[in-house]
Amino acid sequence: MKNNNELPEGAVSVSELTHAIRGLLEEGIGDVLVVGEISNFKQHTSGHRYFTLKDGDAAISGVMWRSRTLTFIPEDGMEVVVGGRLSVYAARGTYQIDCMYMRPLGVGGLYAAFEKLKKDLAQRGWFDDGRKRALPRFPKTVGIITSPTGAAIQDMLSTLQRRFPALNVIVRPTLVQGEGSAEDIVAAINQMNQTDADVIIVGRGGGSIEDLWSFNTEIVAEAIVNSRLPIVSAVGHETDTTIADFVADRRAATPTAAAELVTPITVEDLLYTVDDLRERMIMNVLENVTSLRDLAESFVDGTAVRRISERIQHRSQRIDEIESRIHRTITHHVLLLQQKLDHHTTHLATLHPERPLKLGYAIVERDGKTLSIHDHTQPGDRLTLKRYYEVARVVVE
Amino acid sequence: MAKKPEIPSLEEQLKRLEEIAQILDRGDVPLEDQLALFSEGMALATACREYLEQAELRVKRITE
Repeated sequence: MKNNNELPEGAVSVSELTHAIRGLLEEGIGDVLVVGEISNFKQHTSGHRYFTLKDGDAAISGVMWRSRTLTFIPEDGMEVVVGGRLSVYAARGTYQIDCMYMRPLGVGGLYAAFEKLKKDLAQRGWFDDGRKRALPRFPKTVGIITSPTGAAIQDMLSTLQRRFPALNVIVRPTLVQGEGSAEDIVAAINQMNQTDADVIIVGRGGGSIEDLWSFNTEIVAEAIVNSRLPIVSAVGHETDTTIADFVADRRAATPTAAAELVTPITVEDLLYTVDDLRERMIMNVLENVTSLRDLAESFVDGTAVRRISERIQHRSQRIDEIESRIHRTITHHVLLLQQKLDHHTTHLATLHPERPLKLGYAIVERDGKTLSIHDHTQPGDRLTLKRYYEVARVVVE
Repeated sequence: MAKKPEIPSLEEQLKRLEEIAQILDRGDVPLEDQLALFSEGMALATACREYLEQAELRVKRITE
């Protein structure tokens, strides 16, 4: 006879049964990708999130641990796609989805999530103009965070080169779409803040709302808000607006426009300023010298102040000396410029020796010597006209 | 970390150039000083011009 306390034939303990169920569910089903409507979404103070995923006929619990990145703020009623593993919670005899990632479903879902995040962040004051910083007028180093491939990076580099080539550029390539791109952009912003960049451009070229999604995530918005350096967002085309655009210090319609925003002063502006200042200095110094000498000479010519005229004459002479030194300085600088110009001209000439002839001009020679601009001709002079296809001998009338 | 001595930046050079032009504008410094300022200004203008004309974008890539 068997003892009453003994297990009936074939019976198992709760733990054993649960263990078997766990095996069936976790190994039999394992990884899942589920579409459903969010309900009872709760973010616990621990940072873990609990929710139910349901459709018309069924519901399943879900958990997303704090360590997993959530790229938007889920709201009850929102259609989402959840990826994760089915897991059994033995202590309660329940099963749930251990959710690795979650994203809004479809364009409708994305727009809903976008509007929700926009509202939340606006309430936090993240879009306030008062929070936004001015861009540096004169950046030395520009940081660019974008895809290493594609037109955006090329557009930005060529615009910077054209407008202000006296710049350092630090490029931090990132993913700009797909899984992990939001996290990569956040890492890039944080990393760029450790460099000596003066301003950051974060962006990418155009795309669908799904393609631009990482720029509509809370973590990217947060990284932009917390950035030590001012940030220009440049996402997509003119018509694309993302959360990143709302929180950035400046929004550029396109990557090219972003490169223009960070170079408010162009190299042409500066060259113009330098030339203007140079001219002003020359004019002023000459004017000052001249007026001083006139003043001094007016005393010398006068009879009323003979006593000091000698000293003034001495001064006048001194001013003359200084004036000629200034003239020499100017001449020196003009000569330097002249030499530079000559150098360029010579260089050009060697590049295209026949160019003037091809254009129809002629070289004029007298006695085997080319006539310069200063040489004069006289009636009776026999000249040789060298043209591209012919040589003509002519006599001056 | 000790700060390394730096060549004046383009911005600093331009600022100095503008300062010199302003002093010469006012014309209230002795002629000797004007000459010194003038020489400094002309040299700065030439240096700035050359720097701007020869500048090339310096691009550095960083990764994670």
